[in-house]
Amino acid sequence: MSEALREALTDTASARPAATAATRPATRTAPRTAPAATTPRRRQPWVVHALLAAGAVVMVFPFAWQLLTAFKTFQASVQVPPSILPDPWVFTNFGEVFASMPFGSMFLNSVLLTVLRTAGQVVLCTMAGYAFARLSFPGRNVIFVAFLSVLMVPTQLYLLPQYEIVQALGWLDSLPGLVMPGIFSAFGTFLMRQFFMSLPAELEEAARLDGANPWQAFSRVMVPLARPGIVALTVFTVLWSWNDLLWPLVVTTSPEKMPLSVGLAQMVGLHGTDFPVLMAGALLATLPMLVTFMVLQRQFIQGIAFTGSKG
Amino acid sequence: MSAAPGAVVPRRRSGAQQSPWWALLFVGPTALGLAVFYLWPTVRTLYLSFTEAGMFGGYTWVGLDNYAALLADPELLTALRNTFVYTVIVLVGIPVAVVVATLLNTPGLRGRGVYRVLYFLPVVTMPAAIALVWRMLYNGDYGVLNQALGAVGISGRSWLTDPATALVAVAVVAIWAGLGTSIVIFLAGLQGIPASVMEAAKLDGAGPVRTFRSVTVPLLSPSIFFVSVVGIIGALQVFDLVYMMVGRNNPALPDTKTVVYLFYEAGFLDNHRGSAAAIAFVLLVIILGLTVLQFRLQKRWVHYE
Amino acid sequence: MRHSAPRRYAAAVLALAPALALTACAGDDGTAAADGPVTLTYGIWDKNQEPAMRQIADAFTETHPDVTVEIELTPFADYWTKLRTAVSGGTGPDVFWMNGPNIQAYASNGALEPLADLDTSGYPQGLVDLYTVDGTVYGAPKDFDTIGVWYNKDLFDAAGVEYPADDWTWDDYVETAERLTDPDKGVWGSAAALNDQQNYYDTIAQAGAEVISSDGTTTGYGTPEALTGLEFWTDQIAAGLSPTQEQMTDTSPETLFTSGKVAMYWSGSWSAVAYDSNEAVAESVDVAPLPAGPEGNQSVIHGVGNVVNAGGEHKDVAAQFAAFASSEEAATIQAEAGAVIPAYTGTQQAWVDAMPQYHLDVFIDALETAVPYPASRNTSAWTSVQDEVLTQVWSGNLEPAEGNAQLGEQVQAALDAEQE
Repeated sequence: MSEALREALTDTASARPAATAATRPATRTAPRTAPAATTPRRRQPWVVHALLAAGAVVMVFPFAWQLLTAFKTFQASVQVPPSILPDPWVFTNFGEVFASMPFGSMFLNSVLLTVLRTAGQVVLCTMAGYAFARLSFPGRNVIFVAFLSVLMVPTQLYLLPQYEIVQALGWLDSLPGLVMPGIFSAFGTFLMRQFFMSLPAELEEAARLDGANPWQAFSRVMVPLARPGIVALTVFTVLWSWNDLLWPLVVTTSPEKMPLSVGLAQMVGLHGTDFPVLMAGALLATLPMLVTFMVLQRQFIQGIAFTGSKG
Repeated sequence: MSAAPGAVVPRRRSGAQQSPWWALLFVGPTALGLAVFYLWPTVRTLYLSFTEAGMFGGYTWVGLDNYAALLADPELLTALRNTFVYTVIVLVGIPVAVVVATLLNTPGLRGRGVYRVLYFLPVVTMPAAIALVWRMLYNGDYGVLNQALGAVGISGRSWLTDPATALVAVAVVAIWAGLGTSIVIFLAGLQGIPASVMEAAKLDGAGPVRTFRSVTVPLLSPSIFFVSVVGIIGALQVFDLVYMMVGRNNPALPDTKTVVYLFYEAGFLDNHRGSAAAIAFVLLVIILGLTVLQFRLQKRWVHYE
Repeated sequence: MRHSAPRRYAAAVLALAPALALTACAGDDGTAAADGPVTLTYGIWDKNQEPAMRQIADAFTETHPDVTVEIELTPFADYWTKLRTAVSGGTGPDVFWMNGPNIQAYASNGALEPLADLDTSGYPQGLVDLYTVDGTVYGAPKDFDTIGVWYNKDLFDAAGVEYPADDWTWDDYVETAERLTDPDKGVWGSAAALNDQQNYYDTIAQAGAEVISSDGTTTGYGTPEALTGLEFWTDQIAAGLSPTQEQMTDTSPETLFTSGKVAMYWSGSWSAVAYDSNEAVAESVDVAPLPAGPEGNQSVIHGVGNVVNAGGEHKDVAAQFAAFASSEEAATIQAEAGAVIPAYTGTQQAWVDAMPQYHLDVFIDALETAVPYPASRNTSAWTSVQDEVLTQVWSGNLEPAEGNAQLGEQVQAALDAEQE
């Protein structure tokens, strides 16, 4: 369990009526950087809690309903008025999902797509971002403007020619075709350049004076310093790759080569409005990322916040 | 080291310790990849927009026909209108996120972590899955939304297939799905506001609403600017949700078809790749125009320290 | 009733298949090419037929041990988009299902390998003709399907309405739907679904019009008869006998039928196996012939064909598999699984017998008056217009007469463009 979650859970557990809460000793031992930790314990603002909790219900209800529906029979799912809990609980919907699509292959495709794109982007964008921030070379500004122009253009503009290129390479309906265009990123390069720009130059200068070449200065000194930027880029790329629909929809044609997002789109065609089976499929497709998020929530949230401040 | 970062670089170049081959090593792979998969396709799409595709490959030059047909086609205007309406509705999510972030930033608030996780859940969920879930919630006959409305005496409708509500229904899901990202960014921005500023406002006798309006929002304006630029670009390119929630043979499709859906339909369903390329260029012009406009307008309301 | 079916079927096939010159070439059932193990991919769109297709593929591997067949299932809604992309991109399946609306476009663009060695004597001539383009056979007829009225017996019983008679008419149908409709219980008598083959193609024929003439040059849209065929459905929606188009997009009409909200649903012979395997409706539904309109109770007949990808790697083996998947042996497998009505002459009774609880001979009897599925050189050019206009008509945004008139002009324009 992550620290933040543990802390959060302790917080909830300790949310008691104000009178007792005030007499309780603070559960946190080490002060944290958040301003909340520096302010003394005070009465909980119940109006704020009420508003936030109401919002949280709206955020969570669809997930709860999805989970419950995945265990209902079809008849129960279209019952009016609806029953909240499944009665009986059935597990056949998950069987239907596995029977109607090669779920294992799709899951593997999604994982490989995500891992390869992310690894590629982290390596390539960090290198390129470093060069734009710290190296001088002929044509640097022209090339950087060309990179920036890619950011401005809607991705759809590239779609047809990217498809032609992947086709010419013989990569249609294959893993390289799914992954390839996505490992190059102007956004990632820009993000990493901004990050390297904000790092102090002294450490690197020192390494260079010690005789390190640019690669050594980059890999030994700068990359370790760039961790927050790399985490942000990783989070961003992982989410984008796992959830991507349009490109995989276009390049894959056989079910064994599709990632889960396309598999879900196909399920609508196969199961129409058979809600329990659709919900079981949606649950299976989203669970891996939800679990990853629960485990690494601090990195996820910091990564997104970081993208917002540097992008 | 007192020199500004920009000044460091030329000095180092004069020192000639570094050969341009290093730069090639660092930038080369990405530059090549972007050139092949992004820059060349831009040129190629421009060419394609002057051609017409054969059913199983091959192109014939048709000059400006695609653009002429597109501009004469009322469908493009409708798609533009739908896209703009959708974008405007989605922007409503920004003030909501600012308010939620401000509430979350209440000093001494317990359970902040839990709230933040709950609001963030949709961000890590596949849009394709989100679309499936909301299709079920919105369903006219069995959807839980209509059941709930019915319980309080309001008769619902088929939200996603009624032309009057479908676009709004999709945009609401987009707000719901994107709220977490904005909240996290705003919360980071709020935590950067020094506590002394808030205290000062309080000492001046400003109530929470007044503080929010005249202190929080202006200090948060760079984050708000960022989120709205990115949000507008994203909303103008919406595809997943419309594709998954509306779909073909839906009576509401003409009233929900966005520019990118039109592009997908032309390029991949109807095999009119030339017109699809032309649509992509129209979208490019619109996005560039709006982005420039936003950067022009930001001087009027964004406060950088 | 049911016992007379084979005889009537034989007569029907004769009517459908006038004298046929037997071609002498026998299917080459030899072993696979000598170049080691071969994997073929077989593209299909119907989930319910997958088990039968699997059996057929396994049976092929038994006689061709070097060949394995992988089945690629793509839902019908995406099938043609994916297939065109895959075939033009060189990744299409080796053998795949083809239908009437698409065969001419694929064959005339060189995407399909001619089936020169196919023995066509075992199939109704109408189906062979469907897959013959410019004198060359490109598809091996796999099955055929006709349309019937599936109905929910429980809802009939609850409303005290007698089951449909074989010789019922449009008026009887509407009256039955009225008696079954019960807004308080959320039950509709009928589902005026926006399905071409299952709904309005049939009623347009019953009203005396042709959607597309048999030579593919003129459309019947725009005629008063076509309007009658369309209004049969739109009137039901207007009268509240059917869910609205909005409701049927939200929840598919078939789901409404299988969940007991709709009492009568027009669907094809392919639905039998789906209902038979669905516990909720297996015992409570049955099927009746289509009701007769002004000019009869014609059903559209359509059949799937197995075709070979001209861009495939193992075209010889693929051609052998395509022929096998349409052979008598494969037809029998399909029939016994109840999957579809096989095209191979003489194997249909096994299908009727596979699910004795339903009056499946309705679908065989429909052959007597069946009309071909409308198709032309570039069918999708005018069906996309048709779908768009009729969606607006069905949802009440466009008067049926106005929509019919628009279709008369626009569909004809698309057909004229094909002739250029």
